[in-house]
Amino acid sequence: MFERMSVRSQSGITLVALLALFALLSGCGEPVDATRPPPGPLPEDVDVAEIAPGRQGGVFFGTLAGMPRTLNPLQSSEDAPSATAVSRLLLGLTRFDPTREEVLPALAERWEIGEDEKTFTFHLRRGVRWSDGRPFTADDVLFTFEAIYDERYPNRRKSELSVDGQPFDVEKIDDHTVRFRTAGIYAPFLLYIGIPIMPRHKLYDAYADGSLMRAWSVRDAQVAPESIVGTGPLVLERFRPAERIVYRANPHYYRVDPEGTRLPYIDRLIERIVQSQQATTLAFAHGQSDYEGIEVRNVNWVKRNAPRYDYSVYDRGPSQATGFIWFNQNTGSSPRGTPYVAPHKLEWFRDSRFRQAVSYGIDRQGIVEGVLLGRGQPLWGPISPVNRSWYNPDVQRYPYDPGRARELLREAGFTWDAAGRLHDRHGNRVAFTLATNEDNDIRQAVGLVFVDNMKQLGIDVRLQPLDFNTFVAKIMNSFDYEAGLLGLTGSWDPHGGWSVYHSSGRLHMWFPNQETPSTDWEARVDELMEAQLRTLDLEERRRYVFEMQEILAREVPMIYTVTVNSYEGLQNRWRNLDPPQMGSMVWNYDEIWADTLFLR
Amino acid sequence: MRALIAKRLLILIPMLLAVSLMVSLLMSLAPGDPVTQLEMMPDVDEAYLQELREDFGLDKPWYVQYVRWLSQVVPFSYDAEADGILARIDFKPNFGFSYHYRTEVWDLIVQRLPATVLLSITSLLFAWLIAIPLGVLAAIYKDSIFDRISQLLAYAALSIPEFFLALLALVFAANTGWFPIGGFTSAEYDFLSTPAKILDIAHHLLLPTIVLGIGGIASIMRIMRANFLDNIRAEYVITARAKGVPEGRIMFHHVFRNAVNPLITAAGFAFSSILSGALLVEIVMNYPGIGQLVYEALLQQDAFVVQAAVLMSVIMLMIGNLLADIVLALNDPRIRYD
Repeated sequence: MFERMSVRSQSGITLVALLALFALLSGCGEPVDATRPPPGPLPEDVDVAEIAPGRQGGVFFGTLAGMPRTLNPLQSSEDAPSATAVSRLLLGLTRFDPTREEVLPALAERWEIGEDEKTFTFHLRRGVRWSDGRPFTADDVLFTFEAIYDERYPNRRKSELSVDGQPFDVEKIDDHTVRFRTAGIYAPFLLYIGIPIMPRHKLYDAYADGSLMRAWSVRDAQVAPESIVGTGPLVLERFRPAERIVYRANPHYYRVDPEGTRLPYIDRLIERIVQSQQATTLAFAHGQSDYEGIEVRNVNWVKRNAPRYDYSVYDRGPSQATGFIWFNQNTGSSPRGTPYVAPHKLEWFRDSRFRQAVSYGIDRQGIVEGVLLGRGQPLWGPISPVNRSWYNPDVQRYPYDPGRARELLREAGFTWDAAGRLHDRHGNRVAFTLATNEDNDIRQAVGLVFVDNMKQLGIDVRLQPLDFNTFVAKIMNSFDYEAGLLGLTGSWDPHGGWSVYHSSGRLHMWFPNQETPSTDWEARVDELMEAQLRTLDLEERRRYVFEMQEILAREVPMIYTVTVNSYEGLQNRWRNLDPPQMGSMVWNYDEIWADTLFLR
Repeated sequence: MRALIAKRLLILIPMLLAVSLMVSLLMSLAPGDPVTQLEMMPDVDEAYLQELREDFGLDKPWYVQYVRWLSQVVPFSYDAEADGILARIDFKPNFGFSYHYRTEVWDLIVQRLPATVLLSITSLLFAWLIAIPLGVLAAIYKDSIFDRISQLLAYAALSIPEFFLALLALVFAANTGWFPIGGFTSAEYDFLSTPAKILDIAHHLLLPTIVLGIGGIASIMRIMRANFLDNIRAEYVITARAKGVPEGRIMFHHVFRNAVNPLITAAGFAFSSILSGALLVEIVMNYPGIGQLVYEALLQQDAFVVQAAVLMSVIMLMIGNLLADIVLALNDPRIRYD
């Protein structure tokens, strides 16, 4: 068919072929029936949501931040779009409520924690059904954990669901009771146990023949959406790669509202997959979608259209993304025997007074005003202020103070020459290269401000933008750099930052993969990270994590700069919103309802 | 003619091998690998990264990875039991496995193929059907107002970058509301009847077709005009005029057939760009095609997706050239392949 096309034949052949292609594209089945299917029987252990009653119906037109790579629950946690898509379809035993920042029951109706704090008995909700009507039982839970611990299927959850490398012991007591035993006390147990439970009746065959990794791929989602069944509020109806995902209400969902109306209220969720931010933001700003995450530079013009299309733009405050500068403190040498960092520079970098001076020398407020146009916050530690459960507000801060910076440098033996250039006590000129990734405009602008700030102290900094992978290779493998500028996105639970805080960690940026901690304070941080993991007492955990933040703020191995505020736009027609401190403001898709059914 | 076709197809085999080897080498030279992105996520365990690299064979040198890929994609394999070569009969082309999507590359390409092919065809048709008559008219009425204006517009069209035009088109669509803002189908597409679906796609295709076609119009028109002018001055035209052949017949029967030859070759090349030509427009206009897939694969270092895209382009280029040569022979009896 294609061959004829190119031959510029003006005959009817091209027209016929074009029509055939259209037919091929559109002819994939009958139009989808837009009515809501009748709800399934209510489970015995139905969950009555504590919300203001709403009205069924309507479609939520959302946006998904990128193309999901798979809908396979074993791999979905590796990228945000996949994780988001799977979270609509599948539930875990527990769920995390981002607004109340606590773990609540989901597929398990309740649980008991044994005396030893290592035994957890979960009572599954009776009468819960998969979206295809099959009953959900303890066998599904067992199957899920069997798959996760299976050697054939490498996945990242395995390490989260192990203590000291030992998998949890999972035991079926009866069809509705499952008992877990952990090898040691494990603080984030209830949080991590909430992984999506997979349907045994759909995935067991793939599991048995070794092809589970390829099951529920984006191809399966496109050609056989009905094969992807779940317990979540929504069911996959259509998957159009790089375009959109259409979900409809799950008729077997286990929650109802106080008046007994089956949740979710919405008939459908249609999520547009963002490939180009310009196109989706433009669509939102013209009333064509309900929700959009808005980049800082777009906030002003999107706000202008708000009254016309009846939406609002919300300033959601600081985000979880942190930005920081750090010095390479690696004392090792390359295989060829040359030290990673020149010895005289290493001496500066390992001196906490030098790092503190640099921190005092950064005009964070200036960065917020100049680079982020006021839409950001200065940062003082690894945990962002939005993380209310874990953020320690009383750590040492380094407000812009070049005088104090000079004092500290003088104390550490640095001197200035007549031209105001800084020298160390051996007479070496203080200069270093700051590497960063070139694909982030904001980060580069922050780097430029930093260069200018350091010039005030007589320090000569050269900004070196690198390709992302080159940069990563430098900081993770070859270690041939002096200072770096990067950002990491934190997780809610501080255990998620283990590889950053612990001196043996891969992302212990300033000196990764240490066999034994190279300083006393790093040893103390290691102790604290290990201690917080070994208690179920939240207050005790918090004490350890708070002390860790104090140490990191005092020693400043990572000099935190600023965090960008996040902005979200939402149509005004939505009710029962429950915006959390961190993360997207719409997360409770089973509870929201629209007071006008149609957009525009 | 048959010999030509057979020869061209045979050349394709060593060519594909050489190109795929080159792509493998180049991809391996780029820093990092498909797991690098995961490496920067604090809550991903080190052991898992290691397992993943082993599973994908990323811990092996690039030529081992290449051989592994090759043994997957060639339609035959060595059977140790029978001590012979075993042919695999499979109607689905095999391009290997995508690291990023953890599924077969061909499945990914099939997902994106229709949208891209459709856009390429409409934009090529749009460009050629407008450019050729315009070029002929500009040549016949050389130095007239029409010729000058079309020349000016052609230069203007050639100098506007495609992505910028695409952005302008988006803004135009948003402000007038006449066209959808990017994409390939509307949100309610799946709920429409078949005729409504066709209209919906056509509505979405209009702007990207124009954006993609405008550059083409300008260049094809210029080529057409130049060739037509060359031939208008040829001696056979004078002879024909002297013999009293009507002017219309001279122009459209004799001059046109002679002038169109270079364009047939150009069409062969255009054929090869059917899969890759719309890359920038696809990205800016949120259009779910192959270009987008390949661009992302490059960023993610999803080597075999890139590999597949390059190989398909090579195949399309060869087929395009072959077709052009065949049509050339049909159009011009002086050309023979013996």
